[in-house]
Amino acid sequence: MLNAIDKKVLKEVADLKGIPKGAYNIRKNGKLEGREVSANINIETNEKGDGIVIDIQPGTKDESVHIPVILSQAGLHDVVYNTFIVGEGADVTIVAGCGIHCSGNESEGHSGIHEFHIKAGARVKYVEKHIAIGEGRGKRILNPTTKVFMEENAQAQMELTQLGGVDEARRVNEATIGAGSVLLITERVMTEKEQSAESRNDITLAGTDSRTNIVSRSVIKENSSQDFYVNLTAEARCYGHIECDAIIMDNGINQTIPALKALHSDAELTHEASIGKIANDQLMKLMTLGLNYDAAVDRIIQGFLA
Amino acid sequence: MLQLQNVTFTVPASDTSEEKFSTKQTIINDVSFTFEQGGFYAVTGPNGSGKTTLAKLIMGINPLTKGKIIFNGKDIGRLPINERSDAGIVYGFQHPARFKGTTFRDLLSIALGSDDEEKLVNIISRVGVCSMDFLDKPVDSKLSGGEIKKIELATVIARNPKVAIYDEPDTGIDLWTIGPMVNLLKREQEENNTTTIVVSHNKAFLEAADTLLLIKKGKIAYTGDLTGAMPMLEDLSVCTFDEFCQGEDDAQCYR
Repeated sequence: MLNAIDKKVLKEVADLKGIPKGAYNIRKNGKLEGREVSANINIETNEKGDGIVIDIQPGTKDESVHIPVILSQAGLHDVVYNTFIVGEGADVTIVAGCGIHCSGNESEGHSGIHEFHIKAGARVKYVEKHIAIGEGRGKRILNPTTKVFMEENAQAQMELTQLGGVDEARRVNEATIGAGSVLLITERVMTEKEQSAESRNDITLAGTDSRTNIVSRSVIKENSSQDFYVNLTAEARCYGHIECDAIIMDNGINQTIPALKALHSDAELTHEASIGKIANDQLMKLMTLGLNYDAAVDRIIQGFLA
Repeated sequence: MLQLQNVTFTVPASDTSEEKFSTKQTIINDVSFTFEQGGFYAVTGPNGSGKTTLAKLIMGINPLTKGKIIFNGKDIGRLPINERSDAGIVYGFQHPARFKGTTFRDLLSIALGSDDEEKLVNIISRVGVCSMDFLDKPVDSKLSGGEIKKIELATVIARNPKVAIYDEPDTGIDLWTIGPMVNLLKREQEENNTTTIVVSHNKAFLEAADTLLLIKKGKIAYTGDLTGAMPMLEDLSVCTFDEFCQGEDDAQCYR
């Protein structure tokens, strides 16, 4: 049974007002809260019992599956292994995410290890949002991992977001991209207070004419810190681009370390990285349109992380 | 209605030898002028004369060192930028800011104070942007120079300003677009009685202006119509090195 806090968390992480339509699996405090399958999307507990297998039939079109996680039990560190098999030619949206509601002094954490097997010609939009709320003083820890294996001519768009409240995060993204396939990753992370976040990315362009675009947007406020590492390796004729931008505010600190490795002579890899305060010309422009300094800062951050 | 009274702006001198032991460099030097409601003013002058600085002083982007700026009877010279904007003064930048994740629609909605689709469409049609798709373009580094200037113009007009300041609006605009841009600013001036101040070297704007202000070395060297300014402008256009050679015994002028 979902209580008011659960519903609030669900709204934040999955934009859901209650139980979603279509296939879903809701996990609360390490246990299954609710599950629904559809004709084309099956969800089963895995053999070890430490996660689920989401099996999307080939050719499934315009369907979505929601797998939110709610954590509100002090002292619980939940680890879950989920596997997604997206059948040939399918076109689906997967909405994941974890919301922590912390009301005590003990820490709470969730490590979601997600493995994607995206078959030939399939298209996936994966939306993952992490938040932590509540009045408790316990640490909120979220360590998501995504491992993506793409066959040929597949497309995956991954939006990975962590907007505040999470004290510690160690994020890992790994991908192997097959011939003609395209992977777009956008990671947005905002930290504040004494929070820290680390993102490690290892992306391999394995197939001919594979492509990727990795975008990282970081906002680091107050005394928080963020480190972003990305290794982009090309093993074939391919195109890859990394774009990482960090806005540092107050005493925030950031390391951004992009690495490009071309192991094929026809590889084309580029990157752009910037770390800095909010650009003065942006602030001036918004102030000439009537926003005060603080509202202009908020608006720029809001757009940057949108 | 917009009065500059003894407006002065100094910065720490980068080269103290220029002003003989002075640690300050005067960029705008004791300028006084009144812009009348609904007038069309062109501010011109050589590079580095202080045109943009003067315009930014009016908007509050640069802080006044001395003097007053009286707008509709109130001294706004120490107000922050946004309060001057709320009072009715808006500034279009020569090199507009580019944002990551902010669209033309976002900027226009902030300028208008509303995201009402009908109002947004009204503004983009006023500035001659035909495509609705343009509204959702990110205002980032991928925009051409011409596109970003159109957006800049639109955001100024969307504020329905009493005083609109355009800093070199023709920068990055192709020759064929300058005429329509002049017509647009004239139309906004006439229909809304907008006091229009254009910083420009472009003859099309100088010809469109009721009054021309020629700025030289931080002072107003001339105010009046274009005809009266022509001898000085022609002088400037022929020689931009006069300050280097005047008074030098061995300098030779080939004019």
